[in-house]
Amino acid sequence: MKKLSGYAIKIDNITKVFYDAKGKGRVVLDNVSLNINAGDFVSLLGPSGCGKTTLLRIIAGLEEKTSGGISVFGMSPRDARVKNTYGFVFQDPSLLEWRTVLENVCLPLELKKVPKKKRIEIAREKLSLVDLSAYEKNYPSELSGGMKQRVGIARALVTEPEILLMDEPFSALDEFTKERLYNDILRIWQKTNKTIVFVTHNINEAVKLSNKVCVMTTNSAKIAKVAEIDIPYPRKRNVDFINKVSEIKEIFEGYFYENI
Amino acid sequence: MKTSKKLISLSVWLILFVLIWEAAAMVLSDILHDPLAEKKVPKLLTIAKSFLENYQVILNQSFITLSYAFSGLLIGTALGVILAITLRLSKTLEKAVLPYLLASQMVPILGLAPIMFGLFKNISACRVAICAYTTFFPVSLNMLLGLNSVPENLNSMMRVFGAKKFQIYKKLLIPFSLPYLFSGLKISAPVAISASILADTLSAKDGIGYVIIYTLYGAGTAGQFWPAIIVSALLGVLSFFAVNFIEAILLPKKIRVDEQ
Repeated sequence: MKKLSGYAIKIDNITKVFYDAKGKGRVVLDNVSLNINAGDFVSLLGPSGCGKTTLLRIIAGLEEKTSGGISVFGMSPRDARVKNTYGFVFQDPSLLEWRTVLENVCLPLELKKVPKKKRIEIAREKLSLVDLSAYEKNYPSELSGGMKQRVGIARALVTEPEILLMDEPFSALDEFTKERLYNDILRIWQKTNKTIVFVTHNINEAVKLSNKVCVMTTNSAKIAKVAEIDIPYPRKRNVDFINKVSEIKEIFEGYFYENI
Repeated sequence: MKTSKKLISLSVWLILFVLIWEAAAMVLSDILHDPLAEKKVPKLLTIAKSFLENYQVILNQSFITLSYAFSGLLIGTALGVILAITLRLSKTLEKAVLPYLLASQMVPILGLAPIMFGLFKNISACRVAICAYTTFFPVSLNMLLGLNSVPENLNSMMRVFGAKKFQIYKKLLIPFSLPYLFSGLKISAPVAISASILADTLSAKDGIGYVIIYTLYGAGTAGQFWPAIIVSALLGVLSFFAVNFIEAILLPKKIRVDEQ
């Protein structure tokens, strides 16, 4: 692990405008600045349409910013992506249906032309990290939603990325599966010390997992507040937790009333 | 359960067909005393008998027709797949070329044969070319549909893991499109057979189509006509099931796209 201290991601005054077919622009991100430290677990929290996923896609180099600056360990997002700085977990698990679990987890290594023996060895190690060793020969269609998402997490970890980007990875799962995956992801985070950027629209989830919550609202296209969460892990639903959740809820309520 | 039900309905239809045919043959020859009854609707037993007498000729000629159809189908499929991939690479090209492709399918084979013959100056090449020409379109169209149906999230996934363009084709787009390719082949394979039979009748000196046209005009062995017709029909059905069979072998294992 290199660069454990200092900024992992530096975002300076980023603006993103989407243009529709008539050439009319819609500002999704308006002069957004954010610094993410190496080893942080940062949540981008907000309702749908607030630009949180767009911000994540800009960090991943999947989307171009309209203006502003961004650097990831001193590199452009595109360079960082090519150098396998990122692991990405998608909302939809995005597995290839014709590949077994093991072959799916191997994919990022295959793209990097890692020899077969080596990539199977690494993939097996990551599968055991998410407790799916027994299912390596199964096809995705034979797994439950939670298991598929765990395969997605194993696949994201297989290139040993320094930054894990997660785009609403648990939003399609039931409460029981979610709780179990929260524990999994926290365990992995604490064990590997990776930087995690986690997009969610669930306030409880953000408070439960991250040490920094970036609150984003629909109408401003800005980050309304960066809330530090210093409750020790594992976080239970105690007074501190509930206070933190209400504190963040209040930021949104301000915006709700403004809308009326 | 399902296959046995299918089998029952198939045999019911078959028995019904045989009964009606036999009844028609009986009415023609024994009640109406039509002198041409043997030619119009011969009794099935007569057909079977003449098949046994002529089976060597009929099977040999069928094999010739089949091999032209098969070569044509192979070439047509290859061209269709290459064309689909080319069109996928450029949306502009797709928009420009697709209407002409459709128009090309409106040219009747009867008009096509002299053009092809002028082009190749070789009757064998001409027969293969006609089969290829009639088969590439369904293959190409279905393959293109498959390539265009790949979900955007899978595309993003490949890019995030640093896949190069050709890797995206090799590991995502093409394997994803294979089921589509097979549904194209299920249309194309019987079409290749009937195109090949038609090509036999045009200016060739062999093939099952030649046997049909030759005996129809009163030359050759009269008894070969009906067996040849039935074998031709069976060839088309057979080709459809052959494609199904190959698909069943390849796709349940979801084709290992794993090399090295």
